[in-house]
Amino acid sequence: MRPTRILAAAVIGALAVTATACSETKHKGGSDSNDATQSSGPKKKGGTVTIANTAGQTWTCNFNPFNPAVYNTSIGFVYEPLIHVNTLKNQAETPMLAKSYKWNADKTQIDFTIRSGVKWNDGKPFTAKDVAFTFDLMKRVKSTDLYALWTTAGLRSATASGDQVTLKFEKAAQPYFYAFAHQVAIVPEHVFGTGAAAAHPDTWVDKKPVGTGPFEVDPCSPNNIQYTANPDYWQQGKPYIQKVEYPAYLDNGPANLDLANGKAQWGSQFIPGIKQFYLDKSPDNHTWSPPVQNVSIHPNLDPSHKMTSNLKVRQAISYAIDRDKVSKIGVGGQEPAANQSGIVTPTFDKYYDKAAVEKAGFDKPDPARAKKLMAGLGYSPSKPLKLKIITITGYTDWDASLNVIKQNLKAVGIDLTVQDLAQQTMVGKLYTGDYDLAYYSQQTSGPTPYYELRQMLHSANTAPLGKNAASNWERYRNPKVDQLLNDYASASENEQVDIVKQVAQYMIDDVPVIPVVESVDWFQYNTKDIGGWPTEDNPYAQPAAYNFPDTGQVLTHLYSKSAQ
Amino acid sequence: MRFILRRLGFFLLTLWAALTLNFFIPRFMPGDPVDALVVRTRGRVSRDALEQMLTSFGFKPDQNVAVQYVDYLGHMFTGNWGRSIGQTLGEPVTKLIGGALPWTLGLVGITTVLAFVFGTLIGTVSGWRRGGALDAILPPIFVITSALPYFWVGLLLILVFSQGTGGWLPANFNYDTTIVPGFSPGFVGSVLSHAVLPAATLLITTIGGWILTMRNNMITTLAEDYVRMARAKGLGSRRIMYGYAARNAILPNLAGFAMSLGFVISGAILIEYVFNYPGIGYLLYNAVQNVDYPLMQALFMLFTVAVLVALLAVDIATVWLDPRARAKG
Repeated sequence: MRPTRILAAAVIGALAVTATACSETKHKGGSDSNDATQSSGPKKKGGTVTIANTAGQTWTCNFNPFNPAVYNTSIGFVYEPLIHVNTLKNQAETPMLAKSYKWNADKTQIDFTIRSGVKWNDGKPFTAKDVAFTFDLMKRVKSTDLYALWTTAGLRSATASGDQVTLKFEKAAQPYFYAFAHQVAIVPEHVFGTGAAAAHPDTWVDKKPVGTGPFEVDPCSPNNIQYTANPDYWQQGKPYIQKVEYPAYLDNGPANLDLANGKAQWGSQFIPGIKQFYLDKSPDNHTWSPPVQNVSIHPNLDPSHKMTSNLKVRQAISYAIDRDKVSKIGVGGQEPAANQSGIVTPTFDKYYDKAAVEKAGFDKPDPARAKKLMAGLGYSPSKPLKLKIITITGYTDWDASLNVIKQNLKAVGIDLTVQDLAQQTMVGKLYTGDYDLAYYSQQTSGPTPYYELRQMLHSANTAPLGKNAASNWERYRNPKVDQLLNDYASASENEQVDIVKQVAQYMIDDVPVIPVVESVDWFQYNTKDIGGWPTEDNPYAQPAAYNFPDTGQVLTHLYSKSAQ
Repeated sequence: MRFILRRLGFFLLTLWAALTLNFFIPRFMPGDPVDALVVRTRGRVSRDALEQMLTSFGFKPDQNVAVQYVDYLGHMFTGNWGRSIGQTLGEPVTKLIGGALPWTLGLVGITTVLAFVFGTLIGTVSGWRRGGALDAILPPIFVITSALPYFWVGLLLILVFSQGTGGWLPANFNYDTTIVPGFSPGFVGSVLSHAVLPAATLLITTIGGWILTMRNNMITTLAEDYVRMARAKGLGSRRIMYGYAARNAILPNLAGFAMSLGFVISGAILIEYVFNYPGIGYLLYNAVQNVDYPLMQALFMLFTVAVLVALLAVDIATVWLDPRARAKG
C-alpha cells in the first residue's frame, strides 16, 4: 500500500516541478556527465530540517567514517563517496567526487577521473592523492577495510596520477563497485595522514570532521548534532537547506511523537498504525517506504534437521502462506508481500520472472496443494507436524505476521510454535544454525537482487552447524548456484539480469528460503516547509536517514518553501 | 568500633564477590559483541573487519580468562574502565558514565529524596492523627498510585500534559535539543521543565510506599510505653510526635531509604526509556542489548558499590541513632 493517495494536490504540483527537473540523472559506465548541479533548478537558501530517526543512544560526537557505530552521521553529511549508486532506480549513478570512470575489458582495473575544484571544508584542495590515500589506508590498517576490499574483493593497488586514480584487482571486481565507489567515504590525507589519526585511524575520535560534503558539524552535543551548510560546497548553490538538526532519540516512541506533531520532518522508522498516528495528524505528513529486500522464513537445510531439510515441507510452507494477508495484518500494509523467487518488486522488476513464479504455482496461496504435500508425508490438520520458529522479542510487527502464518500453516497440517528470543540469543542461534525455522531478514541490500541472493545462497557465506555462518544461515549448498553467482562478476549487464533470473529459479525449485514480506526503507516526511523529498515518482535516492551516502543526495535536494 | 570493623570487612568481601560475578556473568550471557555489531551495521560490513575494529578498542576474546580477570580487577580500582565496544563503539566508558550520571543523580536522586521526605512526613502525620481527614484520603490514594507501573503513569502523563495540551510540558529529552548547554536561564529552565513529567511519574509511583510504612511504624510506636509516659508527663504533642514517636518509627525506614539511594545510581530504566531521558538506566539497557562488556562491568560495579556504601552508611547511622545497636556491638 503506497500512500500516494494522501498527497495533497498542491504538494503533487510542487513535487512535479522537482520531479521533471530531477528525473533521469542516469550516468552509467563512465559517461562523462559534467556535474550534478544541473539536475534541479536553483533554489534560495534557508530553512532547517529536523531528523527523527532513533539512534538508541546519545551522540558521542565522533564522526570517524571508519567507525561503523557512527558512520551514518558522517558519511553523506560531511564525507562523500566517488559515485552515488541508486538502488531504487536500476543502479542509476550520480558522479560525486569522481567525475567519471572506466573499467578495463575483464573488469579487473578501474580508472576514476577525479573532480577538480573541490575543496575540503578547511579550505585545502581535494585531489586524486586523497582518494588513493583513502584506499591505501584500508590496506595499512586492516580494521578500517570495512568492506573487505583488500581481502575478499582482491584489491591489489590504488594509485593516483594527475586527476586519475587507478584501482587494480586480482579478479573481476564489478560487484564490489557498490562498496568501493558508493560506500567508501573519501578522507583527507592532510588529516588522516598525520598525528593520532594516522597512528590509529580506526579508533581515532574525529570531533570536527574535515570533509567535502554539503554540511559541517557545528556544534555537536550528546543530545543533538547540528549540521550547518558548507558555504564552499562544490555543487554550486547547494545545499539549499542551511541547517539540519539531528536529535538523539533513544526510542521510537518519542521520535514518532515528534514526527506526528511536526517537530521533526524526516522520519525513518516503523510507525504502528501510521494512518491514525501520523498521516491523519496533518495533510503535510506523508510516507513512502520503498521495498529493498525480503523478510523471510529461513528453514534449516542441514540434513540433521529432518523436517526442514525436506523439500516437500518447505514447499508446503511456501504454498500455505497468504503473503498479502501477512502484509495487511502483520505490518498494516506498510511492507508489501514478497514472492518465492526472492526478487523484490517493484524495486527490481527488471529481474522478476513473473511467469516462472506462476508456473510453479507460487503466485497465490495454494493451501490445497500444501495440504496434499503434507498428507503425502503423513501429516494432516488433525495429526500435525510440530515445528518451532524463532524470532526476536519486541518486534511486535513480526509477532503479528507470524500469527497469521501460524493460522495459515495450521490449516495444512503444520503446528507452528513461535519462540520469542532476545535479539542477541536469536541472532546467535541463527548464525550457528541452532534452529528449525527462523524469521529474519538479510541485513543489507544492494543495487540489484544479486547482492541479497548471493548473501542468502552462496556456499562461501555458510558454515557447518555450530560455526558462525556469515549470511547463508539456512546452510544452502548448490555448486550450480555458486557458479552462477561467481559468473556474475565478469558478466555484461544483460547477462547479469539473466544470471539473477536463473538464481531466482533455484529459489523457486529448491525453496532454500521462504520470503514472506518485503522489508522497506522506512521513510516519513513533512512537506509544510520542506520540499524536494525523494518520492515514488522521483526516487533519486534511498530515503531513510540511516542510509548513507544517500543522505547526502537527499540533503542536497531539500529546500525550504518559506525561503523561496 | 569492633562493629564498624566487622562491617567494613563484610563490605570488602561482598564487593569482591560482586565484582567477580560481574566479570563472569556477562560472559555467560548469550550473544557476543561481534554479532551485536553485525546487526547494528545492518550487515554492510565484513565480520572480520568488525572483529578487528573491536580488537582495536580493547576486545580480547582469545585471551586467557584468568589473565583477563586479574586485569579487570585491577582496572576496576584504577578507574581504567576501557572503551565501549557496543553501540557507542570506541567511546571511553568513563566519559559515557560521566555524561549520563549527573542526569540520573539529578532526576532520580532528587525525586527519591523528595519522595522519602514527603512520604515520611505524610505518614507521620496520618499515623499520629489516625482516622483523621488526612489519614482517610492520602494514604489510600498513594497506595493505589504506587501499585501502578512506572511506564503506564509516564505514558498517561505524556498523553495528558504534553499531547493533550498541545505541548505544555516536554515529553522527551533532558533539555531542548536546540539549546547549547551552559548556565543560561534558558538552559536551566529547559532542564527543569523537561524534568517535571519524569519526576512526577517517579514521585507518584514511589511516595505511597514511604507513607504506608511510616504510618504503620508510627501506629506501632504510639502504642509503646515510653510514648504513654511522655503523654503522662504532659509533654506537647509536637514534641511527642516528632521526638518520641517519629524518631523511633523512622529507624526501619532508614535502611530502606539508604537502599533506595543506592539504587538511584542504576536509574529508573523504564522512566528514562519512556521519556527519552539520557541517564544511566538507559545506558545500562543499551550496554546489555549490545553486549558491551566494558560498559556493563563499569556500570554494575558502580551499582554494587553504591548499594554497599549506602548499607554501610545505614549501619553506622543506626549505631549512632539507636543505643541498642551499640550495646550489642
